[in-house]
Amino acid sequence: MKRIVSFLARRIAGGVLTLWAIVTLTFLMYWSLSPEPGRFVYPFGIKVTPYQLHDGARRLGATRPKLTQYGDWWWHLLHADFGHMYTGATLNDNVLTTAPIGPQLYPAIRETLCILIGGAVLAVLISVPLGAIAGRRIGSTADKLISLGALVGVCTHPIVTGKLLTQWFGIDLHWLPIGGYCTFVKHAAPAGLGLPANYQPCGGPVDWAQSLILPWFTFAFLFLAIYTRMIRASVSESLHEDYVRTARAKGARERRVMARHVLPNASLRVLTMIGMDIGTALGVAVFVEFSYGFFGLARLSINAMTGDPSVEATDFPMLLAVVTVIALIVVIGNLVVDTLYAVVDPRTGAVDRPGRTKEIAAGVM
Amino acid sequence: MTAVELDAPRAAPRNAWRLTLGRFLSDRAAVASLVAFAFVLFASFAGGPIVSALVGHDGFQQFPYATHANLDPVGVWTRVPSTAQVRLDDYGNVLPPPKGSRTTLMVLGADGPLGRDEFIRVLDGGKASIEVGVFAVLISALIAVPLGCIAGFYGGVADAVISRLTEWVMAFPLIFFLVYATIHLTPVLRPIGWGHDIPAGVPMVALLIGVFTCFYPLRLVRAQLLTLRNAEFVDSARMVGSSGFRIIRKDLLPHLVPTLLVWGAVAVATDMLLEVGLSVIGVGVQASTATWGTLLAQTTGTIYNAGLGASDSAHHTTWHTIWPTVCILISVVSLNQLSESLRRAIEPWRRG
Repeated sequence: MKRIVSFLARRIAGGVLTLWAIVTLTFLMYWSLSPEPGRFVYPFGIKVTPYQLHDGARRLGATRPKLTQYGDWWWHLLHADFGHMYTGATLNDNVLTTAPIGPQLYPAIRETLCILIGGAVLAVLISVPLGAIAGRRIGSTADKLISLGALVGVCTHPIVTGKLLTQWFGIDLHWLPIGGYCTFVKHAAPAGLGLPANYQPCGGPVDWAQSLILPWFTFAFLFLAIYTRMIRASVSESLHEDYVRTARAKGARERRVMARHVLPNASLRVLTMIGMDIGTALGVAVFVEFSYGFFGLARLSINAMTGDPSVEATDFPMLLAVVTVIALIVVIGNLVVDTLYAVVDPRTGAVDRPGRTKEIAAGVM
Repeated sequence: MTAVELDAPRAAPRNAWRLTLGRFLSDRAAVASLVAFAFVLFASFAGGPIVSALVGHDGFQQFPYATHANLDPVGVWTRVPSTAQVRLDDYGNVLPPPKGSRTTLMVLGADGPLGRDEFIRVLDGGKASIEVGVFAVLISALIAVPLGCIAGFYGGVADAVISRLTEWVMAFPLIFFLVYATIHLTPVLRPIGWGHDIPAGVPMVALLIGVFTCFYPLRLVRAQLLTLRNAEFVDSARMVGSSGFRIIRKDLLPHLVPTLLVWGAVAVATDMLLEVGLSVIGVGVQASTATWGTLLAQTTGTIYNAGLGASDSAHHTTWHTIWPTVCILISVVSLNQLSESLRRAIEPWRRG
């Protein structure tokens, strides 16, 4: 028990360190690229003087000493408050109004987490049996087919999967909607937009699931392939281990050998990989969100980076908020995986986990 | 006399590389992937000029008659009038071209409302994509090998700093770093290029991808050197007075070559996929330059031109997605298999 606690304490410390490092790196990158936040204060397209630019930056608080801004950000974060964004800042009667980040950020987190968690579950559910079938008889027809499919899956860009699934199941066959995210809870139609009286905004569990099926499969396709390859290798390795031979010698049936001796061992590796792939998964989510018109974290961060296309300036508070949330997801996800690992593996804890090598092919999405 | 004759065939010295080559060539998948990638290379670098010479136009020319009246491009294997001028009547309607005007062949049809040759653009796109992949791998190897050697061989503070930095960067989705850096460096770096051979934008994308992916080979090199630095041959080199730099250069670098080869083959593939990602987001190579990424981006739409039936992407068919996809698939699959086979040939004792 004590070992687990100290192990977790070290992991949490490491996570906080990672969070700090990512936020600091973002600050450094932003400052090194000479931003012009003052541009956001004036209507886009009008010509502004250098004085106005500086004045705008001052009103947004971007001319304060850099260390003050940095400290201020952490102070806000400790209060679970992401502050206000630059986009949509308006100057009226010498008073600057800016929109808070929260109302845009929280729905985006929800959409991304829906894709990530659902897609991950789908990937694991499909890849474990496929990997087990392929790994049990290396070189059989089933193995060859599955390996070929996995190779193609690893080499397909998620945007292509997304585009083709959209085209076939959305546009050609009309089986599934492709028009973005539907909320799980049904909301009333917004008033005052002049919508027809019988207009029903999409929402509710059924619409929610339908809107997510294609994104889940798109997301899962890549990871499915990676995990199938890994489970296949793991299963084929452990079939030669002593404990499998012992189980067979004791007369255990093949099914029991797989379920009780081979697959649990493979699951440890799957768990390790899931922890390492959370960052990758968020990168893949960019393309899933793009394909299906979702407005999740990835989309939000890329919009914040490019700013409004007409300004081409970075909405720094928004970017920082999204980056922090992404780093938090990575850190917390890793923590959960580590805890699960400590629980699942009886040798637990302080020992470094095996197989911490990442498949390069998918590592850099 | 007979003894000499019997010994003769056995006496030929066989070094490790030749053995590896033999193992590689006797592997069917290895040869197949090598042939496939060689074909892709040939098609991308020589295919564009050859096809241009055969059909008499290049991938930049726009043919107004290569689109239908609603701007949908013509289909596979179509002859279109080879005029750059479109004839309009007094009301602005498009008239058929004059009788007897010369035609030119579009093998895969036109690429969209602009009416360029899709086939030549796919071939030329391969050139740019492969260049991005190869240059990016070279750049990241150039960064990774010295840093990895310092971290792995000397250890200490340098190792701690480099390893931590690697861990932090790798915990975070790479595409965000890439997009952020690309957006801000585009005005400075994108014009760099060298005619049609290295299209403008390719060096920028390759540089950025190379810099941000250098952490993978860095870890590989570091891990390799960590295991090697206490080997006996390193000790003996030290004993005869070699400096650390000389040991790395003369004794350790040759050991890195197999690892880097195996990594390099996969990394070219990955970097090509990254280029696709950047182009689809809309920040990579300029959209008018053909790469497999920009060809796909035309059909999916970018952040500046949101997909799903919006303006430009409406005039593309599924085929316009499939051509570059198939090309990417062939090259990436063959590179992956090449790397796998190389690993098997270099380390035959490791199964799987």
